[in-house]
Amino acid sequence: MKFELRPWIRTMKARALVRILSQFGEPLWIVVNVGFPIFSSVALALLYESAGLSGYTGFAILGGIMISFWGNVLWSMASQFNWDKQEGLFEIYLTSPCSITAILIGMSVGGIVGTAPSAVMVAIVGWLFFHPAVLASSWVAVVLTFSLTLASLYCMGMLLSSLYLAYGRAAESLNNALQEPVSMLSGVYFPSIGQLSPFPFGIQVAASLIPLTLGMDALRRTLFFSQGVSSVSIELIALAVMAIMLLVASSVALKALENKGRREGTISVRIR
Amino acid sequence: MSPVQYLRSVGAVVWLGIYHDIAWTSPVAGIILLSVAPTASAMTTSIIYWLGASHAGSFESSKLAYVLVGAVLYAHIAAYAYAPTLAIAEGKNLSIFQHVYISPKSSELYLAGRTIASFLISFGTSMIALILADLVLSHLLHTTIPLIETPESVLLLIAALFLNVPAALGLGYLLGSYSLFASKFEWALPSYVAGILMVFSGALFPPSILPWPLSAFGNGLPFTQFISAARDAIIFGSISSYITALEYSFVEGVFLLGASLLIYRASAKKARSEGVIDRRLA
Repeated sequence: MKFELRPWIRTMKARALVRILSQFGEPLWIVVNVGFPIFSSVALALLYESAGLSGYTGFAILGGIMISFWGNVLWSMASQFNWDKQEGLFEIYLTSPCSITAILIGMSVGGIVGTAPSAVMVAIVGWLFFHPAVLASSWVAVVLTFSLTLASLYCMGMLLSSLYLAYGRAAESLNNALQEPVSMLSGVYFPSIGQLSPFPFGIQVAASLIPLTLGMDALRRTLFFSQGVSSVSIELIALAVMAIMLLVASSVALKALENKGRREGTISVRIR
Repeated sequence: MSPVQYLRSVGAVVWLGIYHDIAWTSPVAGIILLSVAPTASAMTTSIIYWLGASHAGSFESSKLAYVLVGAVLYAHIAAYAYAPTLAIAEGKNLSIFQHVYISPKSSELYLAGRTIASFLISFGTSMIALILADLVLSHLLHTTIPLIETPESVLLLIAALFLNVPAALGLGYLLGSYSLFASKFEWALPSYVAGILMVFSGALFPPSILPWPLSAFGNGLPFTQFISAARDAIIFGSISSYITALEYSFVEGVFLLGASLLIYRASAKKARSEGVIDRRLA
């Protein structure tokens, strides 16, 4: 099929709007989404304080901000196609002339915009309670790192969405099982790579394959250790490469699953 | 209904709950998957303490044990106190709960059975998490975590876990009362419960570091006393403190359960009159 830009963008915008309107049309969602990130940030910041290192409370606040997005990737990206399948929406996606990649990117954009208010609330509450010392020397580096981290994270969500489609009902259990270990290995609340990491080198290398790990490390360094773009350039390049590779992989995986589903007649099978 | 019938009903639901939670795959895989999250969560908080205290020059292995045990136990409580909410929310969505409602047995028994099933599973996964996190952290952080691993201390810990069931069941009924009316936000409740327990139950730090009246609220929770009793059993080896904390935890738990049951019954009556028992997820 010939690629056409206009329908692709319209599809992406339409899918993003559904998500944005559903979030902002019900402001209580912001309160609902912000619960765990706020409480965990506060608890872990207090843990840093009670351990005697108030200077690191910013790690806990930053972790709370990023865990909002990681939760959104797991529950609103990775699981989404599986839920859409159960609701009978996925087969409509496939039979429509829309690009699946455009739908996925629309979901990501909508997810990022919809999660932003929760993340901002965590930042405000964290700053008001703990006044973490933000020592950013280059806000360009911070914004660039943050953007590339989100891009690669949501591209990972796109790939997971196709995998979860294959796993069916096990998806939710997989999500529950994945959330905490990935948070730990990625160093959402503490440095999991580099000099401060408690992990051996092999685990640090494996953890670096998760985009969130590189993103969190670079964000901490730009926000709390005054490092600029040149200091985190390797991380930025790696995040950009990961984003592109994950995007391509998700597209290939979805196509393969679609073809398999067509052959085996399982595209519209609701509960397995 | 005779006590035997009550027990049979609860027993049947416990079996159903166990099937629901782990039998969608092989039981071993189910238990492993359920153990991963509490293990990782306990390791995360323990590493944060280690990182903070090591750099501040105030590291104590007994405090690492304090954080580890607290982190495992708050996750344990949050996991099974949520069972009634899940049973109602999922039941309403899949049209199961209204059938429970019109059956000759009460929905309270159904929720109690689901909570007990969840407790039994969480009991196993928490123990796995504690042992695994202890082993991995000792190796990773090059320290010895001073847990008392004698048959007596383990029995005391198990007793504490069982005596905390009324409190968690009470919290479960309270959350369930809300879920009868809710149709979209009840899924967020576990994260709030886990978060609140993380801050107020003394899981990671003593509630006394919180400003008053939050510290008084934290100290007054039965879960705070339960976690304190568990620490007395397997870290400090203090029997007298253990008994005192456990007494507080159990008595407060029974009061919470009684009050929650009354609230749940009133909510169920109201929900029936408003016709929301079979309202599905929005």
